[in-house]
Amino acid sequence: MIIAEKKPIEEIIQEVEAYDRILVLGCNECVTVCEAGGKKEVEVLASVLRMNFMAQGREKTIDERTLERQCDHEYLEEIRDVIDQYDAVISLACGVGVQFAAEKYMTTPVLPGVNTVCLGANEDRGLWTERCQACGTCVLARTGGICPVSRCAKRVLNGPCGGASNGKCEISKDTDCAWQLIIDRLKALGKMEDYEKVAPVKDWSTDRAGGPRTVTREDVKI
Amino acid sequence: MYVVGCMEGDCHFNEGNFRARKRVEQAAKVLDKIGIGGDRVKMYNLSSGEGPLFAQYSTEMVNLVKKMGPSPVRLARQRMAKKADAA
Repeated sequence: MIIAEKKPIEEIIQEVEAYDRILVLGCNECVTVCEAGGKKEVEVLASVLRMNFMAQGREKTIDERTLERQCDHEYLEEIRDVIDQYDAVISLACGVGVQFAAEKYMTTPVLPGVNTVCLGANEDRGLWTERCQACGTCVLARTGGICPVSRCAKRVLNGPCGGASNGKCEISKDTDCAWQLIIDRLKALGKMEDYEKVAPVKDWSTDRAGGPRTVTREDVKI
Repeated sequence: MYVVGCMEGDCHFNEGNFRARKRVEQAAKVLDKIGIGGDRVKMYNLSSGEGPLFAQYSTEMVNLVKKMGPSPVRLARQRMAKKADAA
C-alpha cells in the first residue's frame, strides 16, 4: 500500500493561515492503515487547528470529512454540494488523492496534509518499509519474491555488486543487501538455477524514467 | 487532563496502557507545538486498589494546572465573549 507520514503541524498551519473556512478531508484506504490520514487523524488535525487559531483569538470554520478514497471520481463527487462552503481543503490522502481532488475542484485550493513516502508493507506495529517502486515490469518471479529495483541501492539486476559485505549494502550496515536476500530465498526455494540465468536488459520505459505512466484497459472501457 | 491506566504489564487489554501512553505523549507534543502546553496532559499508571495514590496524582495534576493557569483557548474564548457582550 501507499505509505504516508503526517506533515509537521507547523507546516500545515502555515499552509492554511490565509483561509477562514477549511475542510479537513481524510481517506479511508492506505493512509488510514498507516495512521497518517484516516478519520482519526482528521479529527485530531481539525481539533489541533481549531485550538491553535482559537488561542490566537481567530475563529476559523474547520470541518471534517473522510471519503472512502480520493482517487475515484465517485467518492470525490460526494463533496461537490459542499465544496463551495470552503476556502480551502486540506487533503490527508496520498499525493494521488490530493491531485485528483485538485483537478476536480479547480477553484478551491487543495493542500496536502501528509507526505507520501513509498509503496510498502507494514512490517511491525509502527514500522512500514518500502517494497515496490512501481517500475512497471515486475521481475519478482526470477528473484524469489524480493525486488532488486526497490531494495537494491543500485537497482542491479544481476547482483550482488562488489560493495556488499556480510549481507549488508555498502550504503549502510543497517540495509540488507537485496541480492543476499534473493540468494537466500532462491536457496530456500531450491531454485538457485534461476540465479545462474543472466537477466536481460530491463525495459525501463515502463518506469517513472519513461515519463508519467498510464494504464488503459480496453476490456474494461465502455 | 490526565489519563490513568493500569500498571505496565498488568493491563487487562494487554497493551492498552502502552498504546495509551504513546497517544498521550503524542498529544502532549502537539499541544506544546501550538503553544497550549504539553504538561496539560499526562498519564499515570496505578492499580484500582491504590486510592491514596490516585488522590495524590489528582492533587499533583490540579496544582500543575493551577500553576500553568487557564489554557490560551479558554482565555481567548473569554475575551471573545466579552467583546460580543460589549458589542
